[in-house]
Amino acid sequence: MLSRRHLLASAAAATLMPAGLARAAGKPTEIRIDWATYNPVPMVLKDKGLLEKEFEKDGIGIRWVQTLGSNKALEFLNAGSIDFGSTAGSAALLGRINGNPIKSIYVFSRPEWTALVTRKDTPINKIEDLRGKRVAVTRGTDPHIFLVRALLSVGMSEKDIQPVLLQHPDGKIALIRGDVDAWAGLDPMMAAAQVEDGARLFYRNKAANTWGILNSSEEFLKNYPDLTKRVLAVYEQARKYCLANYDDEKRVFMDVTKLPGAVVDIQLKERTELTFNRVGPEQRDSILQAGLALQQAGVIPANVDVKQTLNDLVDDRYVGA
Amino acid sequence: MSPVTMTIAAQNTGSEGTPSEAAPVERASARPWSRRLMRPALGLALPVVLAVAWEFIVRMGWASGRLAPPPSVIFATFVDLARTGELQRHTLVTLGRVAAGFGIGVAAATVIGAAAGYSPLVRRLIDPSIQGLRAIPSIAWVPLFILWLGIFEASKVTLIAVGVFFPVYLGLMGAIQSVDRKLVEVGRAFRLSDVEMVRRILLPAVLPAYVISLRSGLGLGWMFVIAAELMGASEGLGYLLIDGQQLGKPAEIVAAIVAFAIVGKATDWLIVLAAAPFLRWEDVVRQD
Repeated sequence: MLSRRHLLASAAAATLMPAGLARAAGKPTEIRIDWATYNPVPMVLKDKGLLEKEFEKDGIGIRWVQTLGSNKALEFLNAGSIDFGSTAGSAALLGRINGNPIKSIYVFSRPEWTALVTRKDTPINKIEDLRGKRVAVTRGTDPHIFLVRALLSVGMSEKDIQPVLLQHPDGKIALIRGDVDAWAGLDPMMAAAQVEDGARLFYRNKAANTWGILNSSEEFLKNYPDLTKRVLAVYEQARKYCLANYDDEKRVFMDVTKLPGAVVDIQLKERTELTFNRVGPEQRDSILQAGLALQQAGVIPANVDVKQTLNDLVDDRYVGA
Repeated sequence: MSPVTMTIAAQNTGSEGTPSEAAPVERASARPWSRRLMRPALGLALPVVLAVAWEFIVRMGWASGRLAPPPSVIFATFVDLARTGELQRHTLVTLGRVAAGFGIGVAAATVIGAAAGYSPLVRRLIDPSIQGLRAIPSIAWVPLFILWLGIFEASKVTLIAVGVFFPVYLGLMGAIQSVDRKLVEVGRAFRLSDVEMVRRILLPAVLPAYVISLRSGLGLGWMFVIAAELMGASEGLGYLLIDGQQLGKPAEIVAAIVAFAIVGKATDWLIVLAAAPFLRWEDVVRQD
C-alpha cells in the first residue's frame, strides 16, 4: 500500500513539475540545444562535433533538437525540452511577455530573413494590396511581427487581412500552390521560393528584422551559469569558423538542407551577417522598437511595460569578450 | 426509477379508485423532478472538485500554473474571447464545418449502409472495399486531401465526412442485418405490405443502433474537425488552438478545448433529444 501511494505521489509530482526541476543541481546528464535552418551556426557546431568534444570529459551528452521557427523554439524552452533555443529577438520578447521564463543571452546573426512574399502572377505589389487577402504566417515569429509592423505602417491591422496559421515550410507550400495570396516568409524557404518558383518579395525592410538570438531558460542559467559560458564559448568558435570558411559553412548547410547552392548563397552570403555576438544597445533598441510597435498594434496588451520586460529578458553576462 | 418503485407505482395506478392510495402516486411522480436537477449536478461534481483543487494549489503557490493555467485564468481568457466576439465567430465556423461534414457523411453512410444491409448482392459487392478503406486511419488522408482539395473548406469538410461515414455505415448495416427474425415473421403473419413492413417493423428495430452510430459518428466528426483545422485555417476553434500554441498561451489553448467540449456535448445531446420520440417503444431495463 505504501509503495503504491509512493508511486502515485511521484507520478503526480512528475506530471506537475516542469521537466527542468526534476534535474538536480550539480551537472546535467545532457545539454539539449536546438538547430534550425534559420541559424547556420549550430549546423557547423553539429557537423564538427565541437560541443560533444567540449563536454565529453564531463560526461555530459549533447542532444540536438530541430526547431522549425521561433515559436517552436519558445514552445520547447517553455516546456523544458531544450536548454538553448534560437529565436528572433522580438519573438523572444513576445514569448517573455506571454509568460515564458527565458533569457536572451547571445546574438548568432544579423539576418534579413523575412519579407512579404507573393507569387509572380498575383496583383499584389504593396502592403495595401493585402487588404482582405489570405496571408500565411506563423504567429510568434519574426515574420509575424514583421507583417504586423508592415500593416501598421500603412494604417492596417491583422483584422484587415485573413491570416492563415501555418508553420514556415507549410506557408511556402500554400503560397506556391495558390492556397494563400501572400506569405510572411522566412529563409531559406523564402530564398528557395524566389529561386525555384519565381516568388517576389514585394515588401522588404532590413531594419525590421530583429536579430538572431540564442535564448536559455532562467532555471538552466541559475543552475548552470558556468556550463552556459562554456556553451557560448564553443558557439563563438563555430561562428568565427563560419566567418573564415564560407565554403565549408555552405557545404554543411547544403548537406543538411539539401537546398541548391544558389538558394544557400542568397540566404547565407547576401542576407546573413555573423559579425555580432553580444546583445548590446543596438540589438536592444531594435527589439524595443518591435515591441512598442506590437503594443500599438494590440498584439501586446496595453498594460505591459515593454521596456522593463526587455530589461528582464536580456542578459549578456555569459558571452566572453 | 428502480424496478421496485416501478412495480409499486404500477400497483398504485392499478387501484387508483381509492383516494387514500392516490398520495403515493403523486409522490412517485414528484420525485423525478428533484432527481432531474440532482443528476446533472452529480456529473459536474468531479470536474468542479478538480478545478477547485487546481485553483487552490496554484493560489497557494505550490505550482506556478504557468503551463497549466488555473480555472480563473482560463475563465478570464474565455470571457475576453467572448467579449471581442472571437469565440462566437470561431465556434460558429467550426460548428458549420462539423454540420456540413456530418450531414454529407451521414447521408452517404445511410444510403450505402441501408443498401448493403438490405441486399446481400450489394453487400458482397461493396462491403469488402469499404471495410478496406475503413482500416485506413482517416488522418492518413490529410496529405492527399491537401494536394487534391487545398487547405480550405473543401478538404476540411471532406475529411470530417470521411470520419463520420464509417461508424454510421457500419452501425446501420449491422443493425439491419440483425433485425430479429421473429419480428419479421410476426409482420408476415399480419400480412404487412413491404412499405408497412419497413415502417412498422424494420425502422423501429434499426433505429436504436442507428442513433448510437450517429452519436459515435458525430464524436469522430468533432475529432476530425481539429485535424482539419490544424492543417491551416484562418478561423475556427482549431485556429484558436494553434494561435495559442504559436504564441505560447496555454490559457487560450485550454479555452479552445473547453469550447470544443461544451459544443461537442451539446450537439450529442441534441441527437439524443431528437431521437427520443422515435425510441419510445423500446422495452428495456433502465437504470436511470
